[in-house]
Amino acid sequence: MIKRTLHFSNPAYLSLQQNQLSIDLPHLKSLGEKESRKLVPIEDIGIIILDNQQITITHGCIAALLSNNAAIITCNKSRHPTGMMLPIDGHNTQSERFRYQIDASQPLKKQLWQQTVQAKILNQAAILFNRDIPCKNMIHWAKSVRSGDPDNYEGRAAVYYWKNVFPEKIDFFRGRDGDPPNNLLNYGYAILRAIVARGLVCSGLLPTLGIHHRNKYNAYCLADDIMEPYRPYVDEIVLGIIDRGENFLELGKDIKTQLLGIATVDVQFEKNRSPLLVGLQTTTSSLAKCYEGTIRRINYPIMKNFETKRGSGFDESED
Amino acid sequence: MRLNEYRILWVLVFFDLPTETKKERSIASKFRKEILRDGFAMFQFSIYLRHSSSRENADVHINRVKRLLPEKGHIGIMTVTDKQFGMMELFYGKKEKVLPDTPQQLELF
Repeated sequence: MIKRTLHFSNPAYLSLQQNQLSIDLPHLKSLGEKESRKLVPIEDIGIIILDNQQITITHGCIAALLSNNAAIITCNKSRHPTGMMLPIDGHNTQSERFRYQIDASQPLKKQLWQQTVQAKILNQAAILFNRDIPCKNMIHWAKSVRSGDPDNYEGRAAVYYWKNVFPEKIDFFRGRDGDPPNNLLNYGYAILRAIVARGLVCSGLLPTLGIHHRNKYNAYCLADDIMEPYRPYVDEIVLGIIDRGENFLELGKDIKTQLLGIATVDVQFEKNRSPLLVGLQTTTSSLAKCYEGTIRRINYPIMKNFETKRGSGFDESED
Repeated sequence: MRLNEYRILWVLVFFDLPTETKKERSIASKFRKEILRDGFAMFQFSIYLRHSSSRENADVHINRVKRLLPEKGHIGIMTVTDKQFGMMELFYGKKEKVLPDTPQQLELF
């Protein structure tokens, strides 16, 4: 079942009442008691974003949200997500899964990274394809990725992708502190990262220990790995905003709504289709099984099937 | 659309519980409290409702209510789609009243 996303951009007082999240909105007080108070069942909440400096949240409320596997995201003064809070105890066989994850061999991690890069490049290619931009080279690169991606096809594909994906009138250079629409991408990725981290925790994995990312300053290495093939879904939303000619220089409420919609975007797997928030759990639980050694492939969504046949050297790992 | 007015269900619980003795009253108030804790909201005295985004989710809550059933009493459980729910006409005295909003997947406060 798809869980709800709550975004608070106004002053609010959040507390717990009969196991429900009680939301008190002082700015609506003038409309009367009924309008300014709302109850949301804790168990229906998946993500909660606190995007105002005047939000008060009780400890009981935080604890109840976390014990229900909800991700709590906090934002800074400039309204950009800065932190998230996740449960420690997201899965019943937590420590066993941690152990498998920690003991994962280098070749396994490299194979998983190979699959991740392939899925990412193919999804980026799908975006280009849908915009009538040549993408044959991308598909070729995706097929050529070797275990651990020693040739850095990921980087090559990214350079080509970012150079071509935006309309020509936008002089785009992708960078964390770059000019708009980088701000939209960053916001979307931050939300996506929280969704991925939540999925990982729900599947009993440590989001800190990555398969490829290993920056010692990064607390969410694994989330950054697993979100790679999902990034193009954010790109798609951002491209839609640009194509419609909306003003994207500032992160308005309307744009935020669209970016937060990432949780409900439909993602297509080999056999089934589900909203991204639910689909991610398919991916993370398949990853947990990879660590366990019961399966060999991470289940990533594919945006378009480029008829890359199984067994043609594309689907098989090389070692 | 995955979330639409035909898939979203509202679970309604109607109950009449005996409140003659102190013990019966305590059982009745316990039942009321338990369903509140499950996310039901009071619609009228002894009519409670809860939004569920799918049939599966509705079944979960129906089963929970079934497990809470007291020994004595008359209880009805019913589901309607959001479409049907939205067609209800509500009055407060003679004045027409608005229906409770359908919770959305994404809500901005």
